[in-house]
Amino acid sequence: MTINAFKRTDGKIGIRNYVIAISMVSCSNTVTERIARATGIIPIVHEQGCNEFERDHQRTKLALIAAGRNPNVGGVLLVGNGCEKTNINEVQKAIAETGKPVESILIQTEGGSPEAEAKGISIVKKLKEQTDLEQRVKCPLSGLVVGVQCGGSDWTTALSGNTAIGAMTDMVVRNGGSVLMSEVDGFPGSEHIVASRAATRKIGLQVLDMISELRAEYIEMYGQKIEEINPTPGNKAGGITTLVEKSMGNIKKMGTSPVQGVLKLGDPITHPGLWVVDNRTQGPDPFNLTGLAMEGAVVTVFSTGRGSPVGNAVMPTLKLTGNPETFQKLGSITDFNAGVILEGTSIPETGERLFEMLLEIANGKTTKSEINGDFEYTIPRESARKNYGGCPRE
Amino acid sequence: MKKVIQIESEDNVGVAVQDIFVGERVGCSGTEMIAQNDIPAGHKIALVTIPQGERIIKYAVTIGKSSREILQGEHVHSHNVEDITNQLCNEYERQFRSVKG
Repeated sequence: MTINAFKRTDGKIGIRNYVIAISMVSCSNTVTERIARATGIIPIVHEQGCNEFERDHQRTKLALIAAGRNPNVGGVLLVGNGCEKTNINEVQKAIAETGKPVESILIQTEGGSPEAEAKGISIVKKLKEQTDLEQRVKCPLSGLVVGVQCGGSDWTTALSGNTAIGAMTDMVVRNGGSVLMSEVDGFPGSEHIVASRAATRKIGLQVLDMISELRAEYIEMYGQKIEEINPTPGNKAGGITTLVEKSMGNIKKMGTSPVQGVLKLGDPITHPGLWVVDNRTQGPDPFNLTGLAMEGAVVTVFSTGRGSPVGNAVMPTLKLTGNPETFQKLGSITDFNAGVILEGTSIPETGERLFEMLLEIANGKTTKSEINGDFEYTIPRESARKNYGGCPRE
Repeated sequence: MKKVIQIESEDNVGVAVQDIFVGERVGCSGTEMIAQNDIPAGHKIALVTIPQGERIIKYAVTIGKSSREILQGEHVHSHNVEDITNQLCNEYERQFRSVKG
């Protein structure tokens, strides 16, 4: 099976050819935004880049480099102030390794904001002329990396949304592609199911070790075992009886394929298949979505019950809902109606249709989040977690 | 509109996709049954009679154990299901780690 996509010189497959502008530090955010607005490209801005603790800064740098390296990106402009901690040359070098054009400007060197803005606009125009010439070519599905996620859940999410994704995941993997699953905070209670699907004993141990750490953190944070607090009274009112049942609603997105390994943010995907991304950031949905983009996902399939506008700066987001009423009400932000399962269509058939839409999007069909211009890029932070390397003041 | 969905063919419980009322005749995966209780949308219904101490199967995995006999068409929830998550996870992990590989 093949898709028509952009083959990058490093061998990776992109399904878009975005030009993006990345701000190195919050001081250069608005200049970056003005350049992007004037040229119709996507800006990546954030609140960091200077005076950070070292490991926080490493995460900032990793996230900015990963944005530029994502295979959906065909050209990059880096915009800095000049004295920030983020080393623009290092970021430029790391992105340029992939073979794509990367330019950089510093506000202090250019002589101020209006000067940097004017120069940035002319650079982006040239980058766009270049990317406009690039054509989609036939690429094997083995190069397609798909993220899966859910958010804004309701009682239909586990029933029709995530079951449809699970059926689709199995089809992506069966056809040689890769699927990334994160949201590992939702794994405890079903770790025995995930570990039993590990491709090797070593990977099974990776899964169990990760969940043991999460369980220990839970006790440290709440003073109780995860089973003592879950399912919550709200879950029970919605019909969830046990923690296995609750966590399986999340795990269901993984389908039933063998797990190829547990990746930390920044680890490479060594071969196609189903992978777990150990991104423990707890926070709004864009944190997890950005983690998937950082790991090289070029599209994420996102199931929601109540509806969600989220998108990502470097990858399209295929949003589906398991709730037919939500699809009726929020059609402008929702691409696919898995609520047909509640109306009698089978789960495998719905998964197949979802897979077909995924291929259409891979071939260039725009998603609702792209049409609407919803391009979040939220750097996943783990420093607030107790087990993330201890106290920041040490 | 269907009233009950069986997610996987191995499951012995289905999920109500609409509120079901006691005495109502509902069909699922070719089986007809009479609802023994009111069952709200999103809640589970026994597709077969499940003896006490049996595994409750949903998503093709064990999600709990029946704490008493559950009749076909009965509401399946905390009042007749024991949460054995801890036991399932611990037993699996103990066995997994004890095997040298």
